[in-house]
Amino acid sequence: MKSMSIILTLISWAILIIYLLPFIWMIGVSFKPIGEWGEPHLIPKNPTLKNYVEVLVTGGIYGVRGHFPPATHYLINSIITASIVALLTTLLGSMTAYAIQRYRAGGTTLANWILSLRMIPAVAILLPLVVMTKSLGIYDSLLGLILVYPIIALPITTWFMIGSFKSIPRNVDEAALVDGCTELQAFFLIVLPQSTIGLATAATFAFLFCWGEFLIPLLLAPSESAMPLTVYAGYFAQQYGVLWGPMSAAAIIIAIPVIIIAVLIQKYIIRGLTLGFVR
Amino acid sequence: MRRSVALLIIPTLVLLLALVIYPTVYLWCMMFFSYHPARDPYPIFVGFKNFEILITDSEAISSISTMLILMGITVPSQIILGIILATLFSLRGTYGKLGLKVLILIPMMIPAVIIGINWRMIFFSHGPLNEILNSLGIPPQPWLSAPFGNPSYTLFSLAILDIWQWTPFVTLALISGIEGVPKDLYEAASLDGASERQIFRYVSLPMIKGIIVIMLLLRTIDSLRIFDIIYMLTYGGPGIVTTTLPFYIFKTGFTLMSLNPGYGYASLLSLILLAISLCISTIIMKIIRIEKLIWE
Repeated sequence: MKSMSIILTLISWAILIIYLLPFIWMIGVSFKPIGEWGEPHLIPKNPTLKNYVEVLVTGGIYGVRGHFPPATHYLINSIITASIVALLTTLLGSMTAYAIQRYRAGGTTLANWILSLRMIPAVAILLPLVVMTKSLGIYDSLLGLILVYPIIALPITTWFMIGSFKSIPRNVDEAALVDGCTELQAFFLIVLPQSTIGLATAATFAFLFCWGEFLIPLLLAPSESAMPLTVYAGYFAQQYGVLWGPMSAAAIIIAIPVIIIAVLIQKYIIRGLTLGFVR
Repeated sequence: MRRSVALLIIPTLVLLLALVIYPTVYLWCMMFFSYHPARDPYPIFVGFKNFEILITDSEAISSISTMLILMGITVPSQIILGIILATLFSLRGTYGKLGLKVLILIPMMIPAVIIGINWRMIFFSHGPLNEILNSLGIPPQPWLSAPFGNPSYTLFSLAILDIWQWTPFVTLALISGIEGVPKDLYEAASLDGASERQIFRYVSLPMIKGIIVIMLLLRTIDSLRIFDIIYMLTYGGPGIVTTTLPFYIFKTGFTLMSLNPGYGYASLLSLILLAISLCISTIIMKIIRIEKLIWE
């Protein structure tokens, strides 16, 4: 039995490592100097940080093959939009979730509708959104992105907070109401402070969704001013597709925060992505 | 309903209505117009002309079937691989389960753009994959192109990306399902002399059937949203081999690459995509039983 479980463990871990090889290889490329990029070996022979420095600070590679701008500006854009949207949608989402969970606001119709928004293919409604943001004068700006991102983030935070409030006993807010609080006071002063973990997880989810979003900013913020890191990386790959080192470095820079956050909220991810169906 | 409760949902309603209802109404109206900002000063009413274009447009038909084929390749593969991995990772003898669960998260959490960039390098004609094949004595394969006279594998290459990214999702959902099965059920089964395989067949499988169904539906509806990896890996090519409906909407609405560029025709295509997604999400709603999830 003992040897059996050693074999099982070895097989499982071997499969996992083979599964992750493509990504491990890209991490390797991001530390490889020019000339080694295309080779299949995983560990760089002459490891270097040059790719990261070029992507983050200097921009351009030896000033020889084309010139790309450093990623800092786009990194800041991504951080600003994703953070603001995370805060905004967590606040709005928790308010809606509370009204739905405690007061059945809108009945099943509203709940169904919000849930179904999570499944809408964004490409189908982006054309009108481009027209709308253009006519409002917020096309190609951070504000435009902040106002459109809720379409992907708000359904998720609302659903997550519904689950969160469901686990807080009803008599908590009933007691507050008896003590003379209004419904809004009971929510903001009593219930909300009790669901900090839920709020933090919902905000993290919203942040991750916006951080990784590609299609919406591609169409809504095509110029330099509001372009986030994902579109920068895509543009990089299209324009300077031969520069594997810096390109991989840019990709890893986008992936690192996501992986760290994902590990932290690992317990809640499946529940969040299956809309609470799988606990 | 109390006025204060209404205050809680109004901001969300206003935002979502603006972001969803306005676009839907716009699509329904625009469908009867011909307009492209690079070509026309203002929209021209053309009645049902966009429908006529649709019927004769072979690229539109092929984009819908490409989308369905891609769905047909990726979803079953993810479910089958997910079941295999979940079984292996949750067998009693396996050590380091938490580590396995955390690391397998990585593919599904990294943005699809990154996955596109990653595999673009791997599939490159002189990239690592072909180098490895070469050293094994296998001739290099055209993963992303279709050299004259060769059939194109590009749709399969593309499918690999989506399968690679989302198999972990199915795996993890199934693992949490298997772990949710009460421990004494397993003990009772093994006391009765059931083998690991019998326990899987008669104890685990019935318990996780519901999860398999829901994953099937969620992956099916999410496969309608595959866009980033097409944009990064193939841009719909070679030719129109990997142009799916979402990508074709992008081509007609936002580029001049399509034969029939324009907002009107793109609106019609968008509504078709919305209709397909609505059908699947209705089924999901029926199965999920929202009442129970929220209020019980």
